[in-house]
Amino acid sequence: MSREKLRQLGIDLPVLPTTSVGSFPKPDYLMKARSEFAKGKISREELEQTEKRATEFWIRKQEELDVDVLVDGEMYRGDMVAYFSEHIAGFEQGGLVRSYGNRYYHKPIIASEVRWEGPITVDWWKYAQSLTKRPVKGMLTGPYTVMDWSFNEAYPDRKAACFALAGEIRKEVQALVEAGAKIIQIDEPATSVRPEELPMAIEAMRLVTDGLQAYFLTHICYGAFEFIYPQMLKFTVDNFDLEMSNSGLDMLDLFKKDKYTKDISFGVVDVHSHVIEDAPVVEQRLREALAVIPKENVWVDPDCGLKTRSVDEAIEKMKVTVQAAKALRG
Amino acid sequence: MELKLANHSSYPRIGDTPEGQLLRRTIAQREKGEKTDADLRAAQDRMTELALAAQLEAGLDVVTDGLIRWYDPVSHLAGKLTGIHINGLLRFFDTNCYFRQPIVEGAIERTGPMVVDEFTFARGKTSKTVKAVLTGPYTLARLSLAKDAGAAQLNSLIESYTRALAAEVAALADAGATLIQVDEPAILKHPEDFALFASSTAALAGQKKNAQLMLAFYFGDVAPFYSKLQALPVDALCLDFTYSVKLPQVVAAEGSSKTLALGLIDGRNTRLEKADSLARQIEQILAGIQSDSAYLTSSCGLEYLPRDRAQLKLNHLKTVKNTFLGKGA
Repeated sequence: MSREKLRQLGIDLPVLPTTSVGSFPKPDYLMKARSEFAKGKISREELEQTEKRATEFWIRKQEELDVDVLVDGEMYRGDMVAYFSEHIAGFEQGGLVRSYGNRYYHKPIIASEVRWEGPITVDWWKYAQSLTKRPVKGMLTGPYTVMDWSFNEAYPDRKAACFALAGEIRKEVQALVEAGAKIIQIDEPATSVRPEELPMAIEAMRLVTDGLQAYFLTHICYGAFEFIYPQMLKFTVDNFDLEMSNSGLDMLDLFKKDKYTKDISFGVVDVHSHVIEDAPVVEQRLREALAVIPKENVWVDPDCGLKTRSVDEAIEKMKVTVQAAKALRG
Repeated sequence: MELKLANHSSYPRIGDTPEGQLLRRTIAQREKGEKTDADLRAAQDRMTELALAAQLEAGLDVVTDGLIRWYDPVSHLAGKLTGIHINGLLRFFDTNCYFRQPIVEGAIERTGPMVVDEFTFARGKTSKTVKAVLTGPYTLARLSLAKDAGAAQLNSLIESYTRALAAEVAALADAGATLIQVDEPAILKHPEDFALFASSTAALAGQKKNAQLMLAFYFGDVAPFYSKLQALPVDALCLDFTYSVKLPQVVAAEGSSKTLALGLIDGRNTRLEKADSLARQIEQILAGIQSDSAYLTSSCGLEYLPRDRAQLKLNHLKTVKNTFLGKGA
């Protein structure tokens, strides 16, 4: 049981612990600072001070909301893959490609052998953890997703690129563990779109986590879970953080058919909508989860990162998430 | 055997130069009310001209308008039909691009041209063959969500989209399109629906008039479908070779009574393929083809690449062809 693992790691959480997936919206002052930094109007140090201010804002806010396991909010990141590609040697920044409609991003290129050159997220984790006594999750993007969301010019095929990245990302996980992180989330949102590559993603996660002492989560979203469940339970993680509400909780049907055997961070609010769900709606979603998965295994959080919502919307969505968990703790 | 060079379908609508940013900037300004619809059309026209220029510079025989005006491969077409509400974003197959999902709320009807104006604009800009591109009825149906219980039947949705797209095929032929490509990537994920798909394809083919009808398949392994595709009443097949190591052997062994578009250049990755390796594959594949011509193209549309890399891929088509012909790069 993963709760026992948490206790061994010195972490005691309430029933139905609350958390969030990782990102929070950047406050206006940080957006302005990022824009000024891009134009060369402020220094890297000035930007970092503003990122720290925003990180502290979200740590304090999560404490106020009584969230149990905190995140740093990713105030220092632009994109979840681009950030790591900027800090792992071997990547080049690619030109703009379309995400959807009129939204574009710089897709990284794996141009040569990838190499971890030193801690990437550790200082941010240490900073966030220094602000609170509650556990703060270490947050990384997993090797399969970094590979899938990058161009590959250096390795013969996708598997070779993925496993090479796994070896380097493992070093970042080790560094987080050595720094004291007990709960580490390794996001793999790309996992669910190529079911035939699920074994590759699972093996990559094993390479990243094998033998390391931490409670591991992975966040997966967007995809065709019917093609990867129950095989995905082979991931060497303790907890799947899943987008449940956006898809009408339809994954619960899969869990009824094939028993869900890990902890789950159950998404109870839709992050793609401006609408703040009513407490009864959120509680009902959670009740439906508890009808299928033992209470002991359920964590409660939003569907996905909240960075696309406004600061106020993100706070309200977290508030209703925590309220629902508390209401059903019994 | 003549090997022609063809653009697959889409081309990046953004680049890193100020001119490359024109459309993005104009759309953003239009949303703020700072630009008019006419401004937006002018920006789309300009980016289409730039996409055509890139293809002509690369020496292509068959060009497209780059699908520059398309919000995505699904809603751009479905959004022009009645009975459909365009909803939130979903991932387009295994790409990291998203489309807006059509929600079918009533009878699907075509009330006017869908891409004829776009085709006509591009054709007016070049003497080269301009290929018209449509997303096919089966794929549109598979990526739509039906609210109404009656329409929820996939069969019914496919039939509705087929009627609309068949009328568009006829309109494109009337507008002078000599080559019409219908993209049907979704069938590769659902072999169980092949009979429905074949019936839909036959209905489109019945409206093609003097145009050549080409079906395009990508984002999956075509090899298991290859024999069945040869039996469809279309003139040409455009195949993605990047998902299947077996496909060249399958094509070489089974031959082809149809013109083939060989999607050998990877439209999803920036790495430039080794020209001599692709030339050998072309030689192997063409040995079994009865048609007197074939196309060399990318595995899918090029909008998944940055603009500078897309241009390199287009240029690479000629390099590979020259290598195949023994002319060197």
